[in-house]
Amino acid sequence: MTLLVGILRVLAALGLMLANGVVLIYMLRKVLGRLHLRLGPTELGPAGMFQTTADVLKLLTKEDPTPTHVDKVLYFIAPAIVFVPSLAAYAALPFSSTWTIANLDLGLLYTFAILSLVPLGVVAAGWSSFNKWSLIGAMRAVASQVSYEVPMLLAALPPVMIAGSLNMGDIARAQDGFVWFWLPCLPAFLLFIMAGLIEVNQTPFDMSEADSELVAGYATEYSSMKFGLLFLAEFSNTFIFAALLVTLFLGGWNLPLIPDEILFGIGAPVIFLIKTYLVIFVFMWIRGTLPRVRIDQLLAFGWKVLLPLSLAWVMVTAVGVKLWPVLLGGVR
Amino acid sequence: MQPDATLISRVLADAGIAVSVEDQRVVGPVFRVPASDAPSALRALKESSHSYSFLVDLFGVDTGEAIDVVYHLRSYVFDEEVHLKVEHGYGSTLASVWELYPAALMPERECAEMFGLSLSGHPNPKRLLSTDAVPPLLLKSTLIRTAEEVRNR
Amino acid sequence: MSDPRSIVSHAGWLTTEPPAEPVTLPASLKRAPSGVNELMTEHLVVNMGPQHPSTHGVLRVLLELDGEEVITGEAVVGYLHRGIEKLAEHRRYNAVGTLMDRGDYVTGIMNELAFALAAEKVAEIEVPRRADWLRVLLSELNRLASHLVWYGTMGLDAGAMGQFLYAVRDRENLLDILEDVTGQRMMFNYVRPGGVVNDITRTAEVKIHRFLKTIDRYLDEHDELLGGNEIFQGRMRGVGVISKEMAVAFGLTGANLRASGLSFDVRRDRPYSAYEEMKFDIPVAEEGDCYARYLVRMAEMRQSVRIIRQCIDGLPEGDFTAKVPKILRPPAGEAYAAVESARGELGVYLVSDGTENPYRMRYRPPALFALQAGEALLPGVMLADAVVILGSLDFVLGEIDR
Repeated sequence: MTLLVGILRVLAALGLMLANGVVLIYMLRKVLGRLHLRLGPTELGPAGMFQTTADVLKLLTKEDPTPTHVDKVLYFIAPAIVFVPSLAAYAALPFSSTWTIANLDLGLLYTFAILSLVPLGVVAAGWSSFNKWSLIGAMRAVASQVSYEVPMLLAALPPVMIAGSLNMGDIARAQDGFVWFWLPCLPAFLLFIMAGLIEVNQTPFDMSEADSELVAGYATEYSSMKFGLLFLAEFSNTFIFAALLVTLFLGGWNLPLIPDEILFGIGAPVIFLIKTYLVIFVFMWIRGTLPRVRIDQLLAFGWKVLLPLSLAWVMVTAVGVKLWPVLLGGVR
Repeated sequence: MQPDATLISRVLADAGIAVSVEDQRVVGPVFRVPASDAPSALRALKESSHSYSFLVDLFGVDTGEAIDVVYHLRSYVFDEEVHLKVEHGYGSTLASVWELYPAALMPERECAEMFGLSLSGHPNPKRLLSTDAVPPLLLKSTLIRTAEEVRNR
Repeated sequence: MSDPRSIVSHAGWLTTEPPAEPVTLPASLKRAPSGVNELMTEHLVVNMGPQHPSTHGVLRVLLELDGEEVITGEAVVGYLHRGIEKLAEHRRYNAVGTLMDRGDYVTGIMNELAFALAAEKVAEIEVPRRADWLRVLLSELNRLASHLVWYGTMGLDAGAMGQFLYAVRDRENLLDILEDVTGQRMMFNYVRPGGVVNDITRTAEVKIHRFLKTIDRYLDEHDELLGGNEIFQGRMRGVGVISKEMAVAFGLTGANLRASGLSFDVRRDRPYSAYEEMKFDIPVAEEGDCYARYLVRMAEMRQSVRIIRQCIDGLPEGDFTAKVPKILRPPAGEAYAAVESARGELGVYLVSDGTENPYRMRYRPPALFALQAGEALLPGVMLADAVVILGSLDFVLGEIDR
């Protein structure tokens, strides 16, 4: 029985990820279209809705040529190394107080740990492709990962400290009735957004596949569904990161002024998804507007700005969390 | 715009270069110097008080007897332009002037390849526009198929 | 000591002496472990192009990279060579314009104008005043369209995508006007020796007036969207600095030259057509970096709008072309005519031998000289900067290769 439930949960995560990918690609096209004074897909289905489905079918049925001289084993495994962590990261996301695929006590830590495997796959893809642009893209992925990962973890700490738990459900629950954490942790919130943009490879920081410099970066030599997997993982990472942002800083499934009991059931996951998609919309907005920073500017920004600021804010929060009960006269 | 022909001739003559002046109907005075003296003539013009430091263009003309390489210089100090012509025999060597005018780097390569000249003193004397085995295109002896010929084929 | 290079500090550290010549290892030793080079690093030689997203045509840049840093760069051109100069020797004077269009395919009107001016000089043809004004009007419309393409691709090179489509929106209106007047969107074949092919149409005038109503607002929008962006400025400021001396030495013209602080514009200093009658300023910047080139071009677009306003308001009555024989046989002679195209001084040196075909037509491509300067700027910059530098110089490969 538990095995069956386990399998169902894995399937749920997979289904969610694939559906998300399809929806997000459609959304990206439509949002970028609006931002760029064009229409986006219009032909297939109402408002071009089935365009993405058709694209997935195309990717699945395309011939999959393997370039000569590639490191065959790594070349084949790399998309999986990118894809699997971003699939596994869905496990700990709290869609409501009861809806979560795996209720982990160390959920946040688990998510970060598993997401930090993604650049490994990117490096494998870039290294094995036997393409110099891919290699440069892979090296950039490493460089930017080293510089953003630490600030991102540090920026996620203040909400954890206030909530007193690494369980993501608990963190979201702690924001019910309390002010959402973006306000008490405003600097951490902004730092987390920036570090997250680097993590999901979004335009001001899309170093490893900077299209005007590196052609397509680590994905240059990939085609058909192997490329599809890399592509899908990228969108799924965007979703996971937006969901993390919602959980940590934007109250999870909560709505202001409405107590948790009323949201019980189907309402809460919908609110969670709507919030997540709104965050993704903001990302796409940024993506459609801003130019790209240079890799050395990004690294300097990561080490000289993001890291000290996030460290400082962790210390401020630590003091604040200790002082808070004292200030309230021991109420909490 | 058009320079004082006697002044330019004097500058060139002072540098010990045999110069002859052709008065063109539209372009104005065109100064002709021997091929061996071209770099020193350009140096004299560049270092003269008029400071012809800007190379507008460098190209060749196949006159039917030889190749005229035209150096088109401009002085931003006096706002004057000088055309310097140098006659090169077919298949001869074009001495690079890129140290005086870095702007000449690519035009020289193009000129050499288009007129079948060879380059000397050039840091990168490869062909610029075409690949090996393409004949020197701008020579009058290189024939191309005209539109009429294509039509009446 | 086999390798006397300093390990801790670089050569210019705490000294005003020029840095010592770097020791170059022979190629055979490059992989051998030495005391300093324990990582056995190698330089990476990559081909940027001919199929690369940001080479503006079919340019190939051979880059030697040390990590992200460019050691040397060599531009390899010729992929678009069509032999325009040779073909021109086999065309009648009226037909060469078709070839000129295909040189710099973004600024067709100005290319044709350069040839027409040279042919008129050598054949001593007087052009009617209305034709001159029409030429100026269309040139400026075309310059605006060309600068908009540059603005859009500049942003693409820097990684932004939105402004390209905004630029294309405005360019679309311009091409619409040009199509209305000339019948073509890019390969116009409109300016002929002696004048222009046909008069401006009534609908085109309406379209120009409509365009002029919105363009100022749109140009402000462009400026805010890209130029006001901090990331963009961070990418452009201080990158690819061309000093005045270097600009002159490498033969830069046009906006690239003016961004380095030398105010020379063919339209003002060698006035042709009706430019003497126009009022316009020549924007100049001193810094010589990519951002200066950006600012100069953006300011030039506003000046173009100014000239278009004057042209459309004061268009004189009269013929649009002089009486020119169908087969033009200019007397023997040589002529040089230059126009200020969107990329710089586009010159045509024409040699006539009295027959119906030009004896020799030399097309001076301003972009070729810009490319040389860009090539010289490459050593020592980051890979991402190389893309921005080449983009900021605004060359079109159709013109370089001819």
